Amino acid sequence: MDTTEKIKVLYIDDESNNLFGFKAAFRTEYNILLANSATEGKALLQQHPDTHVIFCDQRMPDITGTQFFEDIASEYPDPVRILITGFTDVAAVVDSINKGQVFRYLTKPYQQEEIHAAIEQAYKYYMTGFMLRKKNEELQKANEDLDKFAYSVTHDIRGPILSILGALEIMKQTQSMEELHSICNMMEESALQVNDLIVNIHAYYSLQRGTIEIEEIDFKNLCQELAELHNIQLALANIKLTITVQQVETYHNSRVLLHLIINNLLSNAIKYQKDAEVNKFVNLSVQVNNGIATIKVADNGIGIETKYLDKIFNMFFRASESSTGSGFGLYNVKDALLKLKGDILVCSEIGKGSEFVITLPGK
Amino acid sequence: MATEQFHFILIDDSKLDCFIGEKIIVGSGRAVSCHTFMSTSAAFEHIQNSSVDAHRTIILVDIQMPLMTGFDFIEHFEKNIPEPKQSTYIINLLTSSVNQNDMIQSQRYKSVNAFLNKPIKKDVLIDLMDKLNS
Repeated sequence: MDTTEKIKVLYIDDESNNLFGFKAAFRTEYNILLANSATEGKALLQQHPDTHVIFCDQRMPDITGTQFFEDIASEYPDPVRILITGFTDVAAVVDSINKGQVFRYLTKPYQQEEIHAAIEQAYKYYMTGFMLRKKNEELQKANEDLDKFAYSVTHDIRGPILSILGALEIMKQTQSMEELHSICNMMEESALQVNDLIVNIHAYYSLQRGTIEIEEIDFKNLCQELAELHNIQLALANIKLTITVQQVETYHNSRVLLHLIINNLLSNAIKYQKDAEVNKFVNLSVQVNNGIATIKVADNGIGIETKYLDKIFNMFFRASESSTGSGFGLYNVKDALLKLKGDILVCSEIGKGSEFVITLPGK
Repeated sequence: MATEQFHFILIDDSKLDCFIGEKIIVGSGRAVSCHTFMSTSAAFEHIQNSSVDAHRTIILVDIQMPLMTGFDFIEHFEKNIPEPKQSTYIINLLTSSVNQNDMIQSQRYKSVNAFLNKPIKKDVLIDLMDKLNS
């Protein structure tokens, strides 16, 4: 919350004179809202649910102040409630304070300093409760994420390791060299899968915790470096990678995150090719114009079904039945882009291929 | 009475797990047939197209399958495979980490027979078949 923001105070009283007097006295210091009935007060609260402090007169013609506070307590638990009473009402008010619906009360006629002190005290109380609730919500969300994370990670890491152990058991009883060889290949695949996941988890944590270092980016150089990482796979699968870079101006951004983003898209484009396709291709193009980099990664691979397009960036989502992916790659891409204030669009047709387009303003 | 023989359907997205599972199933000596599938949809299609014979079918399906998960598969199965065919299938869930939530969710489906830890073990499988016999 912005601390320079004025404290928002709602004052409810059926006597207009009291309202105007209150506003005149405090309007420079606080953001004052006035209501001359409970109904009006509720309407104002609806418009200003972020009200910090509510003053309400106990004696009003439609309902009493304590009743009003009781009514709003469940819907607006955050604003701190202060009752204004005449001396005679005090006994009736005690009960409502004990129920926790009223933070404190002031007796009429009040001094300006009293109101002042009450607002400051109430605001402090508000902030403590507000921050606590906020932190609790964050904590709860973090815990839920952690549960989901732990569950998927144990499954995804333990799964392949158990498979490898199971395969070893079978190998001990296998005589045929040919079969041993094929088991080895499958074990390798499982081991690579775990490795891939761990690399991605590492990337995830660096993204969450790491600081972003901005440096000058030479896209030609970056793309070349990325292509070299995939040379062997490209050659093995007979995929033609074309790189086009148009960059005349200097561009600054995080090289580490750009590396992560483009690398993930490239790996996907290479991984999800159609086996039967003769002319497999992956096109990587980068254009830098007016400080904005547009990065495109296109392929003629298996494509993504339209109904899954909005889910592919979710953690642990895998949109392909043949996929050996960790369900982490595109999540990290999206997360990195969120950090850099970039955007990603995807066009894909099942059986035809996919194209990812990223627009990323320089720093 | 001779021990009952079963058809087997194993569904797992890991090639290695399918391989290991098939070895164990065939090695148990009580499989009339064993089909492995790396996707739930392919397995479902197989079930839809196969006819009932004298043997019941034991299905082993990994919970964490991409797209149609093990639970989705069961839901799909219960909805689309008519009786009495449905009761000739015995569905068991496979998992590499037994999770409380999974347990609770599995109780919602009448056709879930058991939870099995991965990798599948021969004695566990035989025990499961013996229980079905009695």
